[in-house]
Amino acid sequence: MAKARKSRGESMLVRYLVLGGWAAVCLLPILWFLSIGFRPRTEVITPQPIYWPTFSLDAWHLLMSDWPIAQYLRNSVIAVAGSVVIDLVLAIPAAYALARYEFKGREDIGFYILSTRMMAPAIVAVPIFFLFKTLGLLDSVWALMLIYAAINLSLVTWIIRSYMLDIPKELEDAARTDGAGDLTILREIIVPACLPGIITAAVIAAIFAINEFLFTLLIASTSNAYTMSVALANFTGGSDGIIYNAIALVSFIAFVPILILVILIQKHLSRGLTMGAVKG
Amino acid sequence: MRTDAPSVSANGVATATPKPAPRRRSPALRKAFPYLLLAPALVYLLVITLYPGIFAIYQSLFVVKFLNWEWAGLGNYSSILQDREFWAALGNTALIGAISLSLQTGIALAIAYFAYRDPFIRGWRIVYLMPMLFMPSAVAFIWKLAFNDGRVISDLLGRLGLIEGNMDWLGSIPLARMTLIVADVWQWTPFLFIIFVAALQGQDQEIEEAARLDGASWPSIFWNISLPMMRPVIVVAITLRGIDITTMFTNVFVMTQGTPGGATETMSYFIYRQGFRMFNFGYASAASVLMLVLTVIIAQTVVKRAFHSGKK
Amino acid sequence: MASIHLQNIEKRYGGFVGVQNMSLEIADEEFLVLLGPSGCGKTTTMRMIAGLELPTGGKIVIGGEEMTEIDARDRDVAMVFQGYALYPNMSIYENIRFPLRMRGVPASEHDARIRQAADMVELGGFLDRKPGALSGGQRQRAALARAVVRQPQVFLMDEPLSNLDAKLRQSMRVQIKHMQRQLKVTTVYVTHDQIEAMTLADRIVIMNKGAIQQVGTPDQIYSDPANTFVAGFIGSPPMNLIEGTAQNGTFVAPGVTAPCPEYVRGKVTLGVRPEDCHVGGDNVQGMVYGVEPTGDTTYLTVLAGTKKIEVKAAREYRSDIDVPVAIHFDPAHLYFFGEDGQRIRGAA
Repeated sequence: MAKARKSRGESMLVRYLVLGGWAAVCLLPILWFLSIGFRPRTEVITPQPIYWPTFSLDAWHLLMSDWPIAQYLRNSVIAVAGSVVIDLVLAIPAAYALARYEFKGREDIGFYILSTRMMAPAIVAVPIFFLFKTLGLLDSVWALMLIYAAINLSLVTWIIRSYMLDIPKELEDAARTDGAGDLTILREIIVPACLPGIITAAVIAAIFAINEFLFTLLIASTSNAYTMSVALANFTGGSDGIIYNAIALVSFIAFVPILILVILIQKHLSRGLTMGAVKG
Repeated sequence: MRTDAPSVSANGVATATPKPAPRRRSPALRKAFPYLLLAPALVYLLVITLYPGIFAIYQSLFVVKFLNWEWAGLGNYSSILQDREFWAALGNTALIGAISLSLQTGIALAIAYFAYRDPFIRGWRIVYLMPMLFMPSAVAFIWKLAFNDGRVISDLLGRLGLIEGNMDWLGSIPLARMTLIVADVWQWTPFLFIIFVAALQGQDQEIEEAARLDGASWPSIFWNISLPMMRPVIVVAITLRGIDITTMFTNVFVMTQGTPGGATETMSYFIYRQGFRMFNFGYASAASVLMLVLTVIIAQTVVKRAFHSGKK
Repeated sequence: MASIHLQNIEKRYGGFVGVQNMSLEIADEEFLVLLGPSGCGKTTTMRMIAGLELPTGGKIVIGGEEMTEIDARDRDVAMVFQGYALYPNMSIYENIRFPLRMRGVPASEHDARIRQAADMVELGGFLDRKPGALSGGQRQRAALARAVVRQPQVFLMDEPLSNLDAKLRQSMRVQIKHMQRQLKVTTVYVTHDQIEAMTLADRIVIMNKGAIQQVGTPDQIYSDPANTFVAGFIGSPPMNLIEGTAQNGTFVAPGVTAPCPEYVRGKVTLGVRPEDCHVGGDNVQGMVYGVEPTGDTTYLTVLAGTKKIEVKAAREYRSDIDVPVAIHFDPAHLYFFGEDGQRIRGAA
């Protein structure tokens, strides 16, 4: 008995060492980076790192005066929100077809949609660049919207499909005998019943869209289309080098809403991230 | 039952629903319906994948100098296959990806094993999630500052007495690669952790309880029961993560730009550099086509299988 | 209100036959129960009547109109499902209203009809709730109200009570039967529970392996089974089926002898219900295998040769196991089945 208790105590110690250790690995860089955001520029790059900096809103003032941060934010929001709307409009009917109908080629079409997620952005970067150049869409938020929608369409389709598969078939049978047609069933029964899945898909798509870097880098060349993600990389004040405190501050401004969204869908996160393959 | 109930049926006849004439719906439409539902999404994806694919194949047959396209046949391909930088990029991608993915899997499994039956799991999960929720470009800057510009890592290691003075992290091939791996592991271990924890929490508790009554210890339950049961989940998670790692671009762009001497150049960065720094668009397209072929092979084999087993 | 005619309907899934060559006439206002083990094709049959599945052969006529190829939404048929199939995002009120909206009933009539239907199933106080906030029995009644509200030509009920506990099942059974008599709507009811079938049905259709085994009133099914399947399926515990040989008016099996009509000859199966077996007499010489008192009666299992025979004994009957026991059959209630399992009937 005593021995059992002792080994239990030891394993608790090991457990909290591991869990606490990794928590520190996660948090310390974040806290340190947060401190970068609120220190004067002179204390960012120094011969000896400064761990207890002077508090300063330098970065904030710099952002407000020198950089059109509101414009970047607006570009991000328009491009991301628009792309999510496009994705949902396209993905919901597609997911319904994949989840509920028997038809020739269903497996192959489903897999094709999935496989577009596997494509490296770099592979299509050159052609997409030329495509948007031809269309006169370079340096435009609309181009970013279309690209983000394309990147996330497979993910959104598969997540929603997975949730639709969970809806009992009886529900549709009932609606059919009640006199509803296919589209009515989709709109009135299926979509409300898989709303958690749709929200999860939308949140995850939004996060990936906010994070997108390569295409945005190629398509956006001025503050017309710069989003938060790429604007960061341009906080280099010429001879001043990289303006880290502004970067840190902006990344936290983007981090907070994402954190809130993710906490809201926490229960569904693992299922969303695996495109429905893992039920959390 | 109510006493006035019989009037319901009498009343019912009077107000009965007007009977709709039975409609015969077109069987052709019924057959086409799922395709119609899929069509918008498919067209969109085809435009955004098939068109670039064809364009890339076409462009890869030319030497492109700004607006001037000069026919080169398979010339781009033959020079790429002899290009040491191309092979180096392929090798770097594989090496950095493999090390990073193994580390992430190991760490995620270890912390998932300890976390999933901890009473504070909800708190741990939010903390562990955080790195993943920063924009990748911001994460790249965090580590660029920590390793290089801010010298924080050197300083901390120095205080621990592990090294002396400042390390030049970009000066050595293994160290430069390591900085990329650290940034990737830090940001993306949460992805695997979240999935593994969900799988562990989702498993049938009775099996675990039965094993404990049979006298099994937690490590042996994990090793002999939980791990085999969550194998399909692990396969799907690693496949997804693995595919993302092979497209690594942002960290390279921000942190190393391929230095030293191309030792940290990934495939994505190679294509970007050829196309948008050196404006060898034909050459970049040829590299894209080769990478596309690789992707299709991987997708057809690994991914298809992973998602099939994941569904079961 | 309509009659239903099924003419040679058939459902194949690739090589598998779900329902084969089935013909059935269901009269107007009749309560018909499809009874059989799972996988016997009863649910498929019902789904074909509903239009949720189309037959691969044959014809379906409802209320005099051919409906074989018509979609479910265009048939005037209401269905109640095993899992209730209430729309989770809608309140009970909206659930009951859904068929009215879908079928273009004028909005001015909705409220009165919804309340009437809800009162009928005693659910008037729950109209604002979501299905998730109701108990199983309440959900089932909400599903009934949704079927009732549009006054369809036909009710279809697919094992509607199988998710309820035994007590609730009994009271819901009475309620369903009462409602059907009151509304006089032709009803097809699928179940695997023989008690439900016996208590609810005007006529029972017993199905097995995609084919009808027997059609009849509950009394006919019970007292005049057409074959060993029906005999063994109905009754609790079911009829004893003893394989043996018959010649010269005597049936013989290990440990069993019984009189039989002259025309019963060769290898046959004797069927006798437990309640027609009595302790004492000379038809069975066996050993007591087990005794199960249930309160109002006692079931005795007798081992004759290798065959176990169920006997409904007197309430106070008790015995140790492995004790010799003799059983007497009521000679008026013996059934004989041929090698093909069909009942052997007299020359008449």
